[in-house]
Amino acid sequence: MPRILRLFAVLWLAASASACRPDDGPPKDGPVEVLIWHKKDGVELDFFNRQVAAFNREHDGRIRIKTLKRDNEELRTQFIFASVGGQGPDLIFGPSDNISVFAVTGSLRPVTDVLPDTFLARFDSSGVLDWNGKKWLVADQVGNHLAFVYNKRLLPAVPETWEELIPMLQALTKDTTGDGRPDRYGLTWNYTEPFFFVPFLTGAGGWVMTPDEKPTLDTPQTVEAIRFVLDLRDKYKIIPGESDYNVAETLFKEGRAAAVINGPWAWAGYKRAGIDYGIARIPKMPGGRWSAPVTSSLGYSVNVNVPDWKVPYLRTVLEFLTGPAMQTAMADSLATIPTQPQVLAIPKVAENPILQASLAQLAVGRPMPLTPQMRQVWDGMRGPYQLVMSGSVSPEQGARKMQVEVQNLMDDMSR
Amino acid sequence: MPNGKSNTAERRQRSRFLFWMLAPTVLIVLAVVAYPLMYNVVLSFSNMNLYHIRDWKVVGLGQYAAVFAEPNFWKIFGKTVLWTVVNVFFHVAIGVFLAVMLHQKFIKGKSAWRTLLILPWALPQYITALTWRGMFNYEYGAVNLFLGKFLNLSPIEWLTSPTEAFMAAIITNVWLGFPFMMVVALGGLQSIPEELYEAADVDGASAWSKFWNITVPMLRPVLIPAITLGTVWTFNNINVVWLVSNGGEPADQTHILVSYVYKAAFAMYRFGWAAALSLVIFAILFLFTQVFLRQTDATEPAY
Repeated sequence: MPRILRLFAVLWLAASASACRPDDGPPKDGPVEVLIWHKKDGVELDFFNRQVAAFNREHDGRIRIKTLKRDNEELRTQFIFASVGGQGPDLIFGPSDNISVFAVTGSLRPVTDVLPDTFLARFDSSGVLDWNGKKWLVADQVGNHLAFVYNKRLLPAVPETWEELIPMLQALTKDTTGDGRPDRYGLTWNYTEPFFFVPFLTGAGGWVMTPDEKPTLDTPQTVEAIRFVLDLRDKYKIIPGESDYNVAETLFKEGRAAAVINGPWAWAGYKRAGIDYGIARIPKMPGGRWSAPVTSSLGYSVNVNVPDWKVPYLRTVLEFLTGPAMQTAMADSLATIPTQPQVLAIPKVAENPILQASLAQLAVGRPMPLTPQMRQVWDGMRGPYQLVMSGSVSPEQGARKMQVEVQNLMDDMSR
Repeated sequence: MPNGKSNTAERRQRSRFLFWMLAPTVLIVLAVVAYPLMYNVVLSFSNMNLYHIRDWKVVGLGQYAAVFAEPNFWKIFGKTVLWTVVNVFFHVAIGVFLAVMLHQKFIKGKSAWRTLLILPWALPQYITALTWRGMFNYEYGAVNLFLGKFLNLSPIEWLTSPTEAFMAAIITNVWLGFPFMMVVALGGLQSIPEELYEAADVDGASAWSKFWNITVPMLRPVLIPAITLGTVWTFNNINVVWLVSNGGEPADQTHILVSYVYKAAFAMYRFGWAAALSLVIFAILFLFTQVFLRQTDATEPAY
């Protein structure tokens, strides 16, 4: 055998041997490391880091939590790749709509492998998420929902209906420099994402798919919702001509928009920016329905590659991260909605006005379907929605295109 | 005989030395080029997708057929050709123009100009692309503010209309790409013998005539490989188009083939299909390179 081939053979065997080495026990010296990938950001990330540091101090020498932040899209994709490759973090923190994709790809161990039934029994139905008969995620918060966030200095209170709200927002939209372009808008949000369109769709009586996962977007309700959004911009002129997530954030944080539609992940950042903000339900549409955002839980799932010996360590970590003490601290500091009902009864949680307003919005929200097909729904809606917003197609054409696109993507997925 | 023996031992020692020197390089090339390429080839014949990520199997040429049957493929291919031609044309035109200007004797502070003009190339593409995206914002972006204030033009929907969004990506990439051609052309200009221009002056040639009859032919040997490289880079430049258009917005109308592959693989998890499309891109670029280099005699000596 030529020498170079012999060298490759040796290296190949060495690499294979190291890859197949059984992960058969805790390290002989030093703590057991538990790696968590997450998508926490801003104020929530600061809070999380403090809690992790406290845990590591308390369990010094026995368990050490290590964390890695990733953006949501990257988090999902990289976790699948890592898990399929036999690697990846021990725990992954993210929205519940990821779990069906993870489960389909065989990337998770059920949380029931790690947490005892007695612990899981303390959660409500939004706290332990199942899909296809197995429990895949234990949540430290429920919500992840959009709400109407307003600058109290500019808009003292939010009425229940858009009919009442629109004139108020028109009065707040002002061109102070006289250049023909408003320097302050009544409202803004991210128009490029269909996730932010759903409250208008549900408010018009529509929804994205049937229970058996057929898209339901080419409907008069979708057309009505699109028209309503276009009217806010073109007829009432209370929202900017163009606004993605960053523009919306900047406008609201700089006081150049009186209100913004955004979710709990952003609220603490408004406080940090010095905005005295309030939370209200997104108002009722002209037909009398609430503009209902999609709701989901956020929590931890267990990598399928976690070895059995590590399970007791993960149990300690998960009980810490999702337990009542942590959920109380989160509700108090971040106004997240707990998934353990007894936490909601604690006075400082029950009396938190932001949390109560968030709960009120959650009460009229619509749970996100836990199916891999939701990915195609968002991707299929996004393009036509953007075309409608740019005026390239009519609302009717936009609705039709959404339906066709979503259906095509669903068909493509299985190819 | 002792002499022959020592020669053999020396040769053996020398080949052993060469083997150990080359082995790391060969290993790295195999690991980071050959293995991924072969794996990609295998995937392109497979049914690997979200539902078959662990239990995928080879299914034949189906993914290639699906690539060519995809209605968007030809549209995006056309757009990719347009993207490449326009970008490379402006990279070369602006790059050569600036290089010729910088080569003139009357230009003062050449090194400062050179540094300034290389800046777009020196900045990370990621930062540049996102900065340009901010500048293309309809209401608050610098581009529309400039158009309105100084040219009295209506604002343009740079990021929300398909054609304008594609133009925005092209403008950004032209800005990013011309310094490379400028540097290459500057290098080429230094090697043109001054006597040629002096002889042309004696013959009474105009500046324009000198440019076309001396500068352009003499720059050809350095520019042809640079254009080939530039074409391949631009054809496959996912960063700019992805970041400026935020992943193909609006409505996936600003994709080039490589960004479409990225989306298919990493957003839609259509790995088999994406692998087939990526090999189609590879074939297109391979063919282009061969034909272009042959047609332009780029490998022939210059003088």
